[in-house]
Amino acid sequence: MADRSTLAHEANLLERSRELAALRSGFESVTSEGRGRLVFVSGEAGVGQTVLIRRFAAALPASAEVLLGACDALATPRPLAPFLDVAEVTGGELKTLATEGAKPYEFAAALMRDLRERAPLVVVVEDLHWADAATLDVLRILARRIESVRVLVVGTFRDDELDRKHPLRTMLGDLPAAGAISRIRLAPLSEHSVAHLAEPFGVDAAQLYRQTSGNPFFVTEVLAGGTQAVPATVQDAVLARIARLSSAGRSLVEAASIIPATAEFWLLERLCPGGMGSVEECLAAGVLTAHAEGVAFRHELARLAVDASLPANQKVTLHATAMSALAAAPEHDPARLAHHAEAAGDARAVLVYSAEAAARASSLGAHREAAAHLLRAIRKGKHMPDEMLASMQQRRAHACYLCGQFDEALEAQHAALDLYRKLDDRRRMGESMWSLSRLFRYVGRGPEALESAQEAIRILEQLPAGPELALAYCNLSHLYVNSEDADEAKLWAHRALAIAEKLGHVEARVYADINLAVVEYLANQSPALVGEFERIFRLAKEHGLDEHAGRALLHLTWWSPRFKSYDVADRYYDSGLDFSIERGLDLWRHYMLAYRARCEMDRGRWDEATRLAELVIRDPLSPVPRIVALVVLGLVRARRGDPECWPPLDEAAALAEPMIELQRREPVAMARAEALWLEGREAAIEAATSATYEIAVRRNSSWVIGEMACWRARSGAQKLLTGQVPQPYALELQGKARQAAEQWLRLGCTYEAAMSLASSVDEDDLRESLRQFQLLGARPAAAIISRRLRRQGVRSLPRGPRATTLRNRSNLTERESQILAMVAEGLTNGEIAERLFLSTKTVDHHVSAILAKLGVKTRGQAAAQVR
Amino acid sequence: MPRYVVERTFPDGLHIPVNADGAQVCLAVVGKNSDEGVTWVHSYVTDDKHKTFCVYDAPSPEAIRKTANRNSLPVDKITQVTVLDPYFYR
Repeated sequence: MADRSTLAHEANLLERSRELAALRSGFESVTSEGRGRLVFVSGEAGVGQTVLIRRFAAALPASAEVLLGACDALATPRPLAPFLDVAEVTGGELKTLATEGAKPYEFAAALMRDLRERAPLVVVVEDLHWADAATLDVLRILARRIESVRVLVVGTFRDDELDRKHPLRTMLGDLPAAGAISRIRLAPLSEHSVAHLAEPFGVDAAQLYRQTSGNPFFVTEVLAGGTQAVPATVQDAVLARIARLSSAGRSLVEAASIIPATAEFWLLERLCPGGMGSVEECLAAGVLTAHAEGVAFRHELARLAVDASLPANQKVTLHATAMSALAAAPEHDPARLAHHAEAAGDARAVLVYSAEAAARASSLGAHREAAAHLLRAIRKGKHMPDEMLASMQQRRAHACYLCGQFDEALEAQHAALDLYRKLDDRRRMGESMWSLSRLFRYVGRGPEALESAQEAIRILEQLPAGPELALAYCNLSHLYVNSEDADEAKLWAHRALAIAEKLGHVEARVYADINLAVVEYLANQSPALVGEFERIFRLAKEHGLDEHAGRALLHLTWWSPRFKSYDVADRYYDSGLDFSIERGLDLWRHYMLAYRARCEMDRGRWDEATRLAELVIRDPLSPVPRIVALVVLGLVRARRGDPECWPPLDEAAALAEPMIELQRREPVAMARAEALWLEGREAAIEAATSATYEIAVRRNSSWVIGEMACWRARSGAQKLLTGQVPQPYALELQGKARQAAEQWLRLGCTYEAAMSLASSVDEDDLRESLRQFQLLGARPAAAIISRRLRRQGVRSLPRGPRATTLRNRSNLTERESQILAMVAEGLTNGEIAERLFLSTKTVDHHVSAILAKLGVKTRGQAAAQVR
Repeated sequence: MPRYVVERTFPDGLHIPVNADGAQVCLAVVGKNSDEGVTWVHSYVTDDKHKTFCVYDAPSPEAIRKTANRNSLPVDKITQVTVLDPYFYR
């Protein structure tokens, strides 16, 4: 019979030479080129990710340092768990940051500093399917700068445990599609390999393959279990193997099974007194593996199988023992304690440890984990005093808000409000009430948002004025900013400012300043206001008010499509996106992506526009940016004549329908009017635009009035009274199609230029319109213009540029084309940055985008496309 | 997954030799498609080899355009279709 300990090894390494070679070549390019690489290794549970990594690490030259970290299998993982392992080895600044609770961006920056000072090395982050949000943020930041560090980062995860909304999926989707980032998927063993392994054991190979689907872990367990019949499940296979141990060995394995990851020797001794004598036996049988400080199961599947087989009373006793042992340890970890407390059914302990774990997670910016710990505490805390419960619900609502879980945030906020009402704590009631209003705002429930904003002020105005009242004024002002009611927005912002000045409260001042700046910006888009947003951004950042700092930058992209001020958006988009990613501001990231998508669409870069829109749509947070993203996706489809333009446009309309804000209605009305026009359903345009037009008139928003008026005119309906509207619209409405088109071209809006020309009856104008539509690949619009020209008796129309010429430089922006040319010259990103007066970071970002658009993996391949 | 017919025009004709090189060309296209979850089912080519009608399974029209770009293939028109089997009615 084959040796059991080598069996697992062999099973896991059959058919893995390609994957090993890929990892090795990744490491070689790190050492030879000095550029970092990030590789993700995925596959189903038991397919052998860990064995592959161990084998790869073992074959590395001795000079290469390998740092290992693994994510927690706890119900709510500890923030930065895998990096705690890494920091344990590196020591120094990293260890201080990791243990004292640094924010992900601070930790990532320190990690990169540390990595730069070391010889080329390998960092392995295992089991990312259990990763906490902070760990994913660190990886996200690392991924964007990976080429600047001499490190091979390998992340492993089980892809059979990721549902559609798993945060890891979102992170993977967000990563730049650059050559420095790659993925390896491990497939199960082939039937041939299974037969090869089964042969010495005399087990029916075909049955083994059928039962295990070639899963290496399962196959090994069956063969090592020594039974002739193939067990039906992994659990049966594992238990058959355990049954062969001595009774002392079995007790030790059972005790170890309640500890996720590594079970420390001292802890095991407490759980299973005298059990240390059996460690050797369990190691030799290949059930457990030895680590520096303890033992772990060879695979998590085995641990779960044993854990599931324990009788309930034994489990409770073991968990209670583990809890009291861990609580007495010098460095106690609340997340781990809470886990055992819950399994031991100790409600009081769950409450205490969960609250502590939540506070620790919050201070690390790990909002998702903080919310989960708080929820666990709340569920167990039926008998806790109302004050405590209320404050936990309030904290949970805030944590959920920060990570974009709005349904849960609303539920927690309502609960907090009810408790404060019961306690008759007026100040906290007022605070809860305006927090509730904020949540309603983000889910698009405008009337309720307004009602609770006003109610909060009614409550707080009866008390001596404090920061709560100033912030409640800011919140109400914000609602009026969103609905573009300038007078009300200013009135409430100034009231907030008065209190903020008296109290010296920076947050209220920053919040009010942003509201005032937006109101001014809506009235006139002067460059001085752009400077004002920058000033507020710096002030907010300095005071650690990330949420507001991000909002200040965000507005510069947000309003660009309205005022066609794309140059401003271009200037601030990169820094705004970087900031929102670094600070874990998921919602802001969505806003940036959605409005950027619209800017790109407006300027004819449809591939890039839909790419950004899809990032927003895939990951449901707030309906507000979603509306914009859906509009972009639907309208680009309509413009190209691609199928399925209406489902996204209909969803956008349904989301915007209850909203009164012009900024939500305008994109939907504009897109639906155009899609109807393209389908020749002009008669329906009036109904699609009238409500938006009326709001625009009430808000005196001349750009939107002009846009809606042009659509009505294009539909052939009676002309609308508009008053003063901006030039391109005014010119088209006055029948000066050519001048209107010139204005659009100056703004960079080629499609709009062609639309304006289409309103002409002049043959030359229409021919030019047709030419531009054809260049853009706008088939339906081109067909409409062709038909018109033919009706006017024009013959011999161009069929349009050949598809090959249409396939231009893969839709590179001007900046990207410029940078690509420099890449082809052989310049490094640093040199390009110097030449263009950009940061290297920004150039990195552009180069990643170029590689993605060209669909190539290296700079060399990209350069080859220029030559 | 939705099914689409993609019409493409090749001004100089589409010439894929029926040998190892041709197989390599097709496999490269299939490889790049899989990144976006796009499956090339098969194509109909006109006798003059200037136009193709390609049947694809793909998550969205955007995925088809993205892979076309990567494979340097032109796209004229994308139409969503369903299968109608005449013998189903027998």
